[in-house]
Amino acid sequence: MASQRLRTQRRAVSMASAASLDLGRLVQEAEALASAVRGALGPRGGQVLVTRPTGETLLTRDGRRVLEALNLGPPTARMIVACVSSHQSMTGDGAKTFIILLSKLLRGLQAILDKREGSPFCEDQRSKRDQKHCHSLKQISQSLLTFQTHILDHIMAQDLRKHFLSAFSSWEGEIGRDTMESILEAYFCGRIGNSHQKLLSQLTCDFYYRCIPFINGKNEMLDLVNEYFVELHSAVTGLPVSNSRILEGLVLHRDFAVYCPADGDIRLLIVTESIDSALSPSGLEFVVNAEVQYQASQVWITKRTEAIMKHLQNNNIKVLLSSVKQQEIVIYYAKISGISVVECLSSEEISLLCRTTGISPFIPTQDNICSEISETMIAKFCQPLVLGSKRYVHLGLTRTCAFEPHCVIFCGPVHGVTEQHASAFHGAFKMLQQLFKAVDLSDGCEAQPENTNNTSKTVHCSWQQSATQQKFIMENISCNREKVYDQQLKTSMAETEKQFIDSSSWVDENPSCNQTDLQKSSDLAMPLVKLESDFMFSALIDRGSSVKELQKPPLKCKHPSEMWVMNNSEPVVNYQRICNDAMTAIENTSVSKQLDAAQEYWKPGNPIVPFKYEKSYKHTVQSYTNLVIQAGSVLPVGGNFEILLHYYLHSYAKQCQQPKITLISTVIADALLSIPKILYRTTKENSFTQVYFKATSALQTKQQLPMHQQGLESVYCKYQLVASVLHCLTKLLTVDLIIGIKRPPQKTEVNDSEDDL
Amino acid sequence: MSRIEAKKPSLCTNDPLTKERVSFSLSVFSGIVQSCYGPTGRLKQLHNGMGGYVRTTSQSSALLGGLSITHPALKILTASVRNHISRFSDCGLFTAILCCSLVEHFQRINFATCTVTKISRHLLSLCTDYLKSEACGCRVSVDFDSIKTLLSLVRSILASKPACMLNKTEANHLSTLVLKAFLLTIPHTIETNVVLGKCVIIPVKDKRVMDSTVFPGLLIEIPEFQLARTFPIKRVSSSTIKMALFCISMSGDLSSIGEGTVIVHHGISLEVAVLDQLLNLGKQLVNDQVGLVVCQKVIHPSLKQYLKEHCVITIDRVGVSMMEPLSQMTGSQPIAALHSVSPTCYGSLKDLRTESFVSKHFLHLIPNDTLVCSLILCNRNEMAWDELKLACQTAEHVLQLTIKQPLALLGGGCTETHLASYIRHKSFTLPTSVLKAIDCSRTQYQLVADAFCRSLECVACCLEHDDGEILTDMVYGHFWSVQSGFPSDCNWSDLVLKCGCGIYNNQQNLNWTVLRSQCIPFAPQSCSNEPSINSTDHLVLDCFTAKCSGLQVAVETANLILDLSYIVEDQN
Repeated sequence: MASQRLRTQRRAVSMASAASLDLGRLVQEAEALASAVRGALGPRGGQVLVTRPTGETLLTRDGRRVLEALNLGPPTARMIVACVSSHQSMTGDGAKTFIILLSKLLRGLQAILDKREGSPFCEDQRSKRDQKHCHSLKQISQSLLTFQTHILDHIMAQDLRKHFLSAFSSWEGEIGRDTMESILEAYFCGRIGNSHQKLLSQLTCDFYYRCIPFINGKNEMLDLVNEYFVELHSAVTGLPVSNSRILEGLVLHRDFAVYCPADGDIRLLIVTESIDSALSPSGLEFVVNAEVQYQASQVWITKRTEAIMKHLQNNNIKVLLSSVKQQEIVIYYAKISGISVVECLSSEEISLLCRTTGISPFIPTQDNICSEISETMIAKFCQPLVLGSKRYVHLGLTRTCAFEPHCVIFCGPVHGVTEQHASAFHGAFKMLQQLFKAVDLSDGCEAQPENTNNTSKTVHCSWQQSATQQKFIMENISCNREKVYDQQLKTSMAETEKQFIDSSSWVDENPSCNQTDLQKSSDLAMPLVKLESDFMFSALIDRGSSVKELQKPPLKCKHPSEMWVMNNSEPVVNYQRICNDAMTAIENTSVSKQLDAAQEYWKPGNPIVPFKYEKSYKHTVQSYTNLVIQAGSVLPVGGNFEILLHYYLHSYAKQCQQPKITLISTVIADALLSIPKILYRTTKENSFTQVYFKATSALQTKQQLPMHQQGLESVYCKYQLVASVLHCLTKLLTVDLIIGIKRPPQKTEVNDSEDDL
Repeated sequence: MSRIEAKKPSLCTNDPLTKERVSFSLSVFSGIVQSCYGPTGRLKQLHNGMGGYVRTTSQSSALLGGLSITHPALKILTASVRNHISRFSDCGLFTAILCCSLVEHFQRINFATCTVTKISRHLLSLCTDYLKSEACGCRVSVDFDSIKTLLSLVRSILASKPACMLNKTEANHLSTLVLKAFLLTIPHTIETNVVLGKCVIIPVKDKRVMDSTVFPGLLIEIPEFQLARTFPIKRVSSSTIKMALFCISMSGDLSSIGEGTVIVHHGISLEVAVLDQLLNLGKQLVNDQVGLVVCQKVIHPSLKQYLKEHCVITIDRVGVSMMEPLSQMTGSQPIAALHSVSPTCYGSLKDLRTESFVSKHFLHLIPNDTLVCSLILCNRNEMAWDELKLACQTAEHVLQLTIKQPLALLGGGCTETHLASYIRHKSFTLPTSVLKAIDCSRTQYQLVADAFCRSLECVACCLEHDDGEILTDMVYGHFWSVQSGFPSDCNWSDLVLKCGCGIYNNQQNLNWTVLRSQCIPFAPQSCSNEPSINSTDHLVLDCFTAKCSGLQVAVETANLILDLSYIVEDQN
């Protein structure tokens, strides 16, 4: 009996194929993926041509599109691509860098594992080789986890922060046009390349500034633009790209059914049903008793349509916008009454029109045929527009809501180019939208220097310190960081009145570090929802929940979109977060002394302000500081972040006591250099070695980095990228066995997991 | 899809331009388009092995439509040329040849592609600035007072299509006809929104080309038996005939009922009811003294009979394409109601006649204001007729473009050689500030400029298919060709006759050298002060807008293709 069961079990197992994870194969797959996108990285990179199954060709530099078009077989490769996609949807950029970094890290880790002796990961000599292999992989992934959650944040907060710049030109958080252009140029350089990036960034700037109705309306405007982008742009092929332009008003993607030119104010009306009534609408029965009755009914229908159109004419309606196709007779009477008709508009266009003009569609019923029509809108002009070979309707609307209607025309030689430009334009607006989104965070802390680090994954934990603990920390600054850190960790876990100290809550030698914390510039609200389902995140949630237990005051670690409640009467401070491209505005409702000090440094007209920390220490000791989440941290483009992180990781690794962490840090530091290597591979004057040499010599003498190129990029985005790569790597390395399952035979014969290892 | 299939992995190519597959297909394609260019170009026959339509052509719109291209990089090229053609109708082959030769020449340059593309974009901006400036040496302004330049423009287009098989007299005759047809489509009264009329081309095959004619107004084909029953016709006055245009079906069908159900009691016939309505309509038309009734769809035979008895001519089934020219021409509004027709919808004609050609019979509607005209195009056989129709449509489009921008470029290869010598000269005298702005060295710039000029000259050289020698002069930079078979010790000045565009002949003392040989760069002089421009009839001219845009599209597409670093092809 038991043996039978065992036999069936064994048979069941043999039906599926299983193989253990092979690191070498993983490395090969990752490197193949990286080679696909390597050529398109950076402003000097080329384009990738992707053909769809329909035969349509697409030109793109978007790493995600390229990887998704590859239609990969092996499940681990598909998992990698899924990680890339989720990262890209979170931050909007960085897919190529992700995969290149991942492949280099895997290669580095494989080199560690190949070393037989001396490796801290192969300690257990007793177990069999396979198990040892898995065990060492598990250890590596645990070390990676530790690294990412504790050390990375610490290094960011401690070392890199002094190199960040801010992009706001004034305290109110407005972006100057120059800064916006430089950010957009850097963005488009990566998305489109050197060819048309200046033109597109100027176009985006123009569009942004023309669409903004008033100063604080940018959020609504960006929402609207992002929602209705398809209707707000048109593409024309066969013309050179320099013909792309912005038009005032809206372009409706239909032609006039009948066009009657009109002067002066043009009133328009939106209808969503057919004006002409049918003899027998659906669901009704029409009974014909005599021929005369039939004839009379037909005449009545015609006369009714005529009456409606006459009524519209009496109300001075000049344009009728219809979402359905109107009958010939309606067109005929419209022509007689001098009303232009546009029909078959899409429902999205109708909804955009309703939102922009504030009117709702008109339904002709028995009642409102005689009375005055109120749901009309005045347009400035309404004329036909010829774009390429198609005729459209160009409507000039006056503004009634938070949006000055403008639309963009993209020109290009082929459809692939116009599509690429349109999607890059849309992406830029998404980025700007994330930029201005406010996530309310207030971190309360009493006395001193604490930096509540908002990592994207951690729920915010702020901590309070008693004075003793503060002193304790201060004294320990000069000590070995690692020890203190561990100690703090232990003490906080052990003692209930001590707060849980977040990994990055470090007091720096520059005590003014409390001013800001590292800006995690990605959109916090959105990705956290996705991240919660991730298993990695659960570890952090646990941390967060433990904080809840530990804390005495009603400090809640919540979803960051909720408000933080401070434990005493400190005013709640709201912070706006950086999103994708690193600008945040600091909107402090309360101005603490520290902020006053910081305000001095925001010189108007100076587009980029480096943070100065020295003076504010005195203030911060006494004041109830509100942690200012760093506003607008940006770095100059060109691999500066990677070089900085590489340098500081190496110096950290030298002082680190744990051999595993040292090894991991070294691997990561070396892998980070691959990005600037690719970026500078084709230049002769500013080749990678020269750039690296200049940067390291500047860092050793404690100066700022030399800036080679114009353009800024978000720090949070970069940080998020490194964190996500480590995250993905951890996920991959904990996979033990890959099992391919055949589908049960009654459903379909072909399964698509046959093609695994 | 009824079955779920596993997706095949995509085919990936790294650094595609270095691969054999691309360079081979590119060279084959380039060979095809280069051999079709110009009046002495060779024809290509397109057919598939299954016995479909066979097409002999040398025009790019037919050629590119018929070729089936598989490689994605080439697909981009053909797509962009076809988009250009759909916009401008002319200079398609020019764009394709220029793009191919640019890709070929730029690929041989060894430094980074992004620098090459940057420099080529700068060169393109130099070209467009020069062409748009007043001091451009290769453009002529089109004078609408005399028709000479317009006629030259049309003749150059018609003569450059060898598949039409036109000799000189035929070409002259047809160009006059095309120009006449175009002038007829221009409205007499100029308002704010000027809309040009339409020229309808009517095919008549198996006749001589010289029999082609232009008629003002519309020709509608009618069957032979109707011809006899046309006259007499009811006229309002001796020079006006009232016309009614219907856009709905007058056949008495019950199509527009709705989605619900209609219950008809026994003994009641809806068709009789509708027919009664139609006859009432007929009565009203007769009362209003309408002489011609035109319907887009079918007219009921009883109505037709009734109207004929009252001397009203009926034409039905004209189709939707005729509706707009008809309403434009006569001022009548398409009527969509079968009862209560308002008299403001009627239009007017000046006269009505019948015409016959070969075996076809037409009703000729002559309007008061000729906005619409009909061109009867005859040619010997079907193949030549197809080519000729394309050529006439191109010519009409070019004339419309010329009205918007009254300029023309010198044809016959002279613009290309002139532009090449200008760019060579400019690249030597470029200030260093410009080089710094582009971020390249002077050597790099000159290498790319040399490749650019070579591509332009390559395009011009494609005009010569008969092994002749191609020369250029050192004063104006024009294109001169010499027939093959000359003795090797002759002076160039004895062998050349006229330059490519026809402005200069060998009377002037110009210094000739072989094209594409190394020579000192010189600043080419302008030809705009030449007296011979307005006096000669036989200038070869090209459309300005189409050629400028073609140049831009070619350079941009070449940059796109060179920029490709990876290709992913989906195999599903």
